[in-house]
Amino acid sequence: MAATPTLILTSSDGVDITVDRDVAERSLLIKNMLEDLGETGEAIPIPNVNEAVLKKVIEWCTHHKSDPPSTGDDDDSRRKTTDIDEWDQKFMQVDQEMLFEIILAANYLDIKGLLDVGCKTVANMIKGKSPEEIRKTFNIQNDFTPEEEDQIRRENEWAEDR
Amino acid sequence: MPAPIPQPPHKDNLEETWTFLERGIDSVMLKLEDGVDMKTYMALYTAVHNFCTSQKAVGNGQGLQAHRGAHLLGEELYKLLGEYLSRHLDAVYDESQGHLDEALLGFYIREWTRYTTAAKYINHLFRYLNRHWVKREIDEGKKNVYDVYTLHLVKWKDDFFMKVHKKVMDAVLNLVEKQRNGETIEQSQIKSIVDSFVSLGLDESDSTKSTLEVYRFYFEKPFIAATRVYYENESRRFVGENSVVEYMKKAEARLDEEKARVGLYLHPDISKHLTDTCLDVLVTAHSELLRDEFQVLLDNERQEDLARMYRLLSRIKDGLDPLRTKFETHVRRAGLAAVEKVATEGEAFEPKMYVDALLQVHTRYQCLVNEAFNGESEFVRSLDNACREFVNRNKICASSSTKSPELLAKYTDSLLKKGAKAAEESELEEMLVQIMTVFKYIEDKDVFQKFYSKMLAKRLVHVSSVSDDAETSMISKLKEACGFEYTNKLQRMFQDIQISKDLNASYKDWQEKVLDEDDRKKMVDAHFQILGTGFWPLQAPSTDFSAPPEIVKTSERFQNFYFDKHNGRKLTWLWQLCKGEVKTNYIKNTRVPYTFQVSTFQMGILLLFNENDTLTYSDIQKATSLAPEILEPNLGILLKAKVLIISPEGSKPGPGTSFSLNYNFKNKKVKVNLNIQIKSEQKVESDDTHKTIEEDRKLLLQSAIVRIMKSRKKMKHVQLVQEVIQQVKSRFPPKVPDIKKNIEALMEKDYIERLDGDEIAYIA
Repeated sequence: MAATPTLILTSSDGVDITVDRDVAERSLLIKNMLEDLGETGEAIPIPNVNEAVLKKVIEWCTHHKSDPPSTGDDDDSRRKTTDIDEWDQKFMQVDQEMLFEIILAANYLDIKGLLDVGCKTVANMIKGKSPEEIRKTFNIQNDFTPEEEDQIRRENEWAEDR
Repeated sequence: MPAPIPQPPHKDNLEETWTFLERGIDSVMLKLEDGVDMKTYMALYTAVHNFCTSQKAVGNGQGLQAHRGAHLLGEELYKLLGEYLSRHLDAVYDESQGHLDEALLGFYIREWTRYTTAAKYINHLFRYLNRHWVKREIDEGKKNVYDVYTLHLVKWKDDFFMKVHKKVMDAVLNLVEKQRNGETIEQSQIKSIVDSFVSLGLDESDSTKSTLEVYRFYFEKPFIAATRVYYENESRRFVGENSVVEYMKKAEARLDEEKARVGLYLHPDISKHLTDTCLDVLVTAHSELLRDEFQVLLDNERQEDLARMYRLLSRIKDGLDPLRTKFETHVRRAGLAAVEKVATEGEAFEPKMYVDALLQVHTRYQCLVNEAFNGESEFVRSLDNACREFVNRNKICASSSTKSPELLAKYTDSLLKKGAKAAEESELEEMLVQIMTVFKYIEDKDVFQKFYSKMLAKRLVHVSSVSDDAETSMISKLKEACGFEYTNKLQRMFQDIQISKDLNASYKDWQEKVLDEDDRKKMVDAHFQILGTGFWPLQAPSTDFSAPPEIVKTSERFQNFYFDKHNGRKLTWLWQLCKGEVKTNYIKNTRVPYTFQVSTFQMGILLLFNENDTLTYSDIQKATSLAPEILEPNLGILLKAKVLIISPEGSKPGPGTSFSLNYNFKNKKVKVNLNIQIKSEQKVESDDTHKTIEEDRKLLLQSAIVRIMKSRKKMKHVQLVQEVIQQVKSRFPPKVPDIKKNIEALMEKDYIERLDGDEIAYIA
């Protein structure tokens, strides 16, 4: 059997990382590009992702390289639950900064599975928290005036968990 | 190779971003063959991504609605890209102006290939836009927003295709015409054009699906129109210069050719439309001409051309109906002509000749139906109609319609009777099958039944069947065709013969036990057949007959035996059917005495000469009690064979003549058959049969009427007549006046009665 073909990805901070081609192709961006340009042996620049994040992303892709290809936008059941499988949960146990970087990278690289997992993780961090707690968790400044906040609360009364 | 990597734009700046993108798109559009390096590719993708994810809320205002959630950027890029494509395609159009015909096709295809390949790249580069802004717009039901690839197609269609499609199609049609004229063309060009037109069919409601609208309107329509014109002209010209047969070949070839054309480079969607058009122009338009040729082809038995005509006309609506009518007439005429030829032989023709003539015509045209008309059921029906006509109504049947069944029955008899020209078993079966073919067409099936049962009776009584298997086979064929009732009596006759065999065996055993020495010496070796009166078409003798004492003794003994077994039955001796053998011990000039095979009547006459050498006519008549019309012909036979000598010499048997035994009788054979059927008997028999048929039909009609009325109780007169026809027509075609007459008769007999309003009721 031939050796697994590999590619070189160059992170935004100029580090070359070698990955298996099928791992890299979890990214639709990379997959499409290879389809369009063919493989030239050139290193593929990834201008929006730094080494640390890119390695994390590659780790996820390696673990998921044999997942069935995403069935498109319509598999609602998977999207609607916030269940995350164990490995992914552990994988996502990173600091908030890194978590957001991963989500951005997944969005940029067009890796649907990873984007979903990232967003679910954030969703789980919000679930069951009061606005104040949420603000605290994500370090958000309250930029509403008390009047505005009052109005919004009234408008959304129906959604309150009683 | 790669252009110097452009400086990535500042993500918040639309103008900067677009300038950067336009340079990249331009090189994909125009210089793709130079290749795009990965850095550029990634930079372009990243520029789109970065612009769409920039924090600055550009173009706020109506786009930003609080309840819609996050605002997505990208609209500006989408618009700019659209404008860029329009500009680009304008340029392509300007360039296209310099090309014509095939050069234009080449140009169109080249540009299309280049453009769609680039579109695929650009679609990937703008994937981020597709995934977010475009998706959101489409999800919200915005019209006229497409994914970037589709945008390319829409722009191509609106800004280029709409301006050139006519010229392109003209070029395509020119090419096709050249090919139809026999030139070689580059058909892959047309195939590419078709593919392009098909790709442009976008479903407005769902851009992931395509429709054939564009192709149908801009390709199919002109293509079909051109085809119509081309073949209208060609066929008109061709018909003017060639025979119809040649034209049919041409039309068939053209139809095949157009069918192949679809497979070669057209879209299958056109198939039906194109075929219909060709059929319309090539066949329907000339169908009169073709049909007019049909009779000529039939007359000359041009099977292949007939088949071709059938194939062509079968493909158009109602194309074959007129042919069927003509075919039916033709077959009927052929049948009538064949019969007429037989009729020229006068009365003397063999039944075989007649049946063969019918069969020959049937076989010939059945073969034609199968070979040329594909065995099509409607043509089979026409053939059947024609055959039924000429089988039942032809010159030989002119005197009476019952002639056909009579002749058929006689022919069957000649096959099944032992004779000189006995056929091989397999051959015989084949002939019986053929007889059934004619039988199927016979309307007076009851007449056939009558004659058949008479002849079967004779074959059975005289043990002259060629084979039991053949008899059984024929009966089962008739049963299959007409049902149990039709053959019931025939089967019973068969059974009687079997039972009689067993009966004779037990009679022999009985004789062994009962007879004494003296009886045994005088015993006549005899075989008896017991025939059920109801099943056999036989009548009691038409003359009195005093059987000779030797026979009387034998028959009485058997009668005793039989009544012993079956008390209360009545036996009628059918002397006219009996026969026997007598030995001529009086003739001294041979070592072996002659054996005469004689009828019982002849036996009665001859045995008288055991006592006297000479007897007068009245002696014989008194002794035998035979009626003169039976006695005289039988004496005639004996005279002719020189067994007896008449005096006065040379006179005819009759009162006043006398007969003496010829002691000098001579014959080459030891066994002499004197049991010859008398001509007048034959004729009478046939007439009788016809008479009984009329009688039987009356009964059949009456029983049908009673059966129907019994189950319906009440019925309109008209309906009853209809129902009777339905029930009876499998036996013979009833005449309405006959039915009415029989209804009247049944009323008189109080089986049914007339009610008000033309209704009839059953009287229980």
